[in-house]
Amino acid sequence: MSAREALSGATLRRAIAGAGFTRRVTQEITRHGFGYAASGVVGILVGAPAIAVLLMSLRVGIPGRGGPLTFENYYRAYTDPIVLQVLLNTFLFAIGTVLVTLLFTLPLVWLFNRSDLPGKRAIFVFLIAGFLVPVFLRAIGWILIFSPEVGLLNTLARSLFGVERPIFSIYNLPGMAFVQGLSLVPASFFMLSAAFRAMDPALEEASYVSGASRLRTIRRINIPVSWPAIAAVMVYMLMLAVSLFEVPAIVGWPARIFVLSSLIYFAVTPNVGLPKYGIGGAYGLLMMVLGLVLAFLYFRVIRETKRYAVVTGRGYRPKMLPLGRWRYPALAFVAVYLTLDFVLPLAALLWVSLLPHAQAFSAAALSKLTLVNYRQIPELIGLRPFVNTTILVLLAPTLSMILSIFVSWVVVRQRFRFRGVLDGLAFLPHAVPHILFAVALAYLALLFREVLPIYGSVFIIVLAHTIAYLAYGSRTMNGVMIQIHHELEESGRVCGSSKLRVLWRIVIPLMAGAVCNAWLWIGLLSYREVTMALVLRGPENVVLSTLIWQLWFAGLAPEVGALGVVLIAVVVPIAWGARGLFASIAHGYSGGTDER
Amino acid sequence: MIRIRNLSKVYDTRHGRVEAVRGINLDVAEHEFCVLLGPSGCGKTTTLRSVAGLEVPDDGEIDLGGQVVYSGPQAILVPPEKRDIGMVFQSYAVWPHMNVFQVVAYPLTDGRKRSPKHDVMPRVRGALELVQLRDLEDRPVTDLSGGQQQRVALARALVSEPRVLLMDEPLSNLDARLREQMRLELKKITRSVGVTTLYVTHDQAEALSLGDKVCVMHDGEILQVGSPKEVYSRPQSLFVAQFVGEMNFVRGRVRGRDEVDSPVGKVKCPVPPNCEAGREVTLAIRPEHLSLSSASGDGEGAVGGKILSKTYLGDSTLFEVEACGVALKVRLSGDSDFDVGEQAGVLFPPGRWRVYS
Ligand SMILES: Nc1ncnc2c1ncn2[C@@H]1O[C@H](COP(=O)(O)OP(=O)(O)O)[C@@H](O)[C@H]1O
Ligand SMILES: [Mg+2]
Repeated sequence: MSAREALSGATLRRAIAGAGFTRRVTQEITRHGFGYAASGVVGILVGAPAIAVLLMSLRVGIPGRGGPLTFENYYRAYTDPIVLQVLLNTFLFAIGTVLVTLLFTLPLVWLFNRSDLPGKRAIFVFLIAGFLVPVFLRAIGWILIFSPEVGLLNTLARSLFGVERPIFSIYNLPGMAFVQGLSLVPASFFMLSAAFRAMDPALEEASYVSGASRLRTIRRINIPVSWPAIAAVMVYMLMLAVSLFEVPAIVGWPARIFVLSSLIYFAVTPNVGLPKYGIGGAYGLLMMVLGLVLAFLYFRVIRETKRYAVVTGRGYRPKMLPLGRWRYPALAFVAVYLTLDFVLPLAALLWVSLLPHAQAFSAAALSKLTLVNYRQIPELIGLRPFVNTTILVLLAPTLSMILSIFVSWVVVRQRFRFRGVLDGLAFLPHAVPHILFAVALAYLALLFREVLPIYGSVFIIVLAHTIAYLAYGSRTMNGVMIQIHHELEESGRVCGSSKLRVLWRIVIPLMAGAVCNAWLWIGLLSYREVTMALVLRGPENVVLSTLIWQLWFAGLAPEVGALGVVLIAVVVPIAWGARGLFASIAHGYSGGTDER
Repeated sequence: MIRIRNLSKVYDTRHGRVEAVRGINLDVAEHEFCVLLGPSGCGKTTTLRSVAGLEVPDDGEIDLGGQVVYSGPQAILVPPEKRDIGMVFQSYAVWPHMNVFQVVAYPLTDGRKRSPKHDVMPRVRGALELVQLRDLEDRPVTDLSGGQQQRVALARALVSEPRVLLMDEPLSNLDARLREQMRLELKKITRSVGVTTLYVTHDQAEALSLGDKVCVMHDGEILQVGSPKEVYSRPQSLFVAQFVGEMNFVRGRVRGRDEVDSPVGKVKCPVPPNCEAGREVTLAIRPEHLSLSSASGDGEGAVGGKILSKTYLGDSTLFEVEACGVALKVRLSGDSDFDVGEQAGVLFPPGRWRVYS
């Protein structure tokens, strides 16, 4: 064989191998077209903001104004003397929040799922209502009661006992952690109840049958078995607590107590001067890493909990422990919690909404009660916030659910090579703090304002919510889709329907109930969400929640009270109608909650 | 009609590679009823699902009615919805949000061979007639019993008149009596329709009674293909002998071309050609080929033994007899006078022994 022949032979072989490779790639893409499509969409929606955080931390100046990449922001951000204090605050706030949450949640979950506590139904409704009241409204309610100057409690104390100094203040870290911790109780209650229900009662029964006493069973079986679930909720709440913004802003801002999230917020929405996206990005990256580490931890713990899950899932009621005379302390405990988290703040809101200006409870005040604050709502705010809110709560859950269904269909059902990656991407909005998503989206929207002019419109909020709730939606749909036997779908294929047709005609109808529930849930979350809407706000896209926020920071307490009451009055009947939805979440048929 | 060549499939699991199917070959003729028989985990379902297109094999070729639907070397993969098949799933997979009529009509309304509206009704009715569910067409499928759901699944699989019908343990979720009844009916229906059938089961009684052809699978390979009678009476390997029907096994040592020494005496039987004298082999004989006699002494084709247990089965009685240090199962038809603890002679008829190396 001559050298040239050998050469051309090698080229030929390489060409053939190349063609084979190309063919395999084409084959892979045609075979898994849906997988690649879903990955592409989610990759852009979730990945772009994440990358934008990195990008903006490496740039100085206004978005879009080119320039070299630089570490200047990091230098400026982390040499600021405030940063150590802020990190410490964040840490203490997060830990304190989780502790307060657990302090209330654990007894509640146990009482609710394992004892014969009376009035469970009513308590459940309160928990729902508590969950739906936006956290910032509850925080405002608390301030109205406990603020050292205007707080109802302190003024009352002053007038009754003549004390000079305020007896109580919430403008400190413990106060913030307490308010935030309380507000997370309903969410962690729903999550933990689900885990409790999913636990195999046979584990416990086997212990009784072996002759172990009740106490011994609790010590040797119940606690070890539920520990992973508790740990999972703890990690999840920690993940939230380092990223939450509302309480740190509302309670912390007046006292100048900053945590990471509020620091970022005030960096990108300063009262004077240009937004410092670079600084925000520099802090944001730290926050993102923190979130990812905790998310990783969460996944590790969650895997542990699956080991104890019921396999059969037959409708089963574990035996309820009779409380006997302990039921009164138990009820008292529940009452204290409900009063603190629900009754007091709402009562405070209602009270100020009925007065021309905030003041303590007194005969004089009673005589001044008026509905004027309610009557002037329309002329005060106009129609726009209502229209925007309506668009938001209809569009965000719809888009989010369409995407979620598609993603989890690919993840659960298609043998897609990168389904793990896709699933991880869809989970990312849980791990990355929402405030960061919003900041990054604002940045991107400014960067691409020529191509996609949505900056400052309600649609950018819709987009933010769609991405943020994709995590919740896809997780829920994963859970539902796994329960649909794969042969139900395969039999459709064998009958001659394409994948999409089977999805449309068989899978979606089978999940209809769950899809509606998740849709409603995301709608409710969207309705009470304020952080992202706030970061993305402009003059055109005010929604109810951001409006209340702005009024509050403008010092208009009575108007805030009136609007807050209206906001709650709208949502509570919906929640009442959707009790079943909450029951299904608490019973673990759904993918948990998304408390933000 | 169905032609499988060198089919193989490997699953990569967390615990390593599982070779579910290792290069099997199989031919099923038109109108034939072929049963894949084997213990659980031997790769039957994987094979069947590969034929359906629900599983993508790693290599080999599958041909349905002259059309190549899968080929590893040529990179051909026809998706399930384009293959001319009907399938009955183990879980029935009837869609709980539809009624009986809608489920059965699905292949005609949303499937491969969409029919004009006026055509759907008579064809669905025909299919329901076939499975005797004509009266239940308006019922939600969730109201039906297991056996009825099974029939709905069968009607759905047959309504589009596919050329190939695939069934994966369709009877395993039914209780014993219903299973037997459905078995008879399945056979009648598939025969009357004349559809080529590939049927998967781990139940040897089902396989023997249903199949025109039985393929015994083990560990991803096909060990023996033949008519039920062949497979039962002349199992070609120890595994098949063990798995299909009951069998007595006795260790032995080859003495000559047609003679084996064993604890129960010298046995006359054809020895496989690869077994030279002195080699250890296993002798096998079916319990129903043995019989008992009241004469308890040893003799030509008989050994004395003691009855260890007796199980009355209605149509037959199963004895366990210890003879020459070996426990033998003996099946006698009907009832029998022998009792536990008695001495009895076990008779070995000539020509029934089989030898496995
Ligand atoms: N999706 C899968 N992933 C990993 N292993 C599998 C999968 N499906 C089947 N297997 C393995 O392949 C082997 C054959 O399985 P299968 O075809 O279902 O057996 P059969 O139907 O004969 O019981 C088994 O060892 C099984 O564990
Ligand atoms: Mg199987």
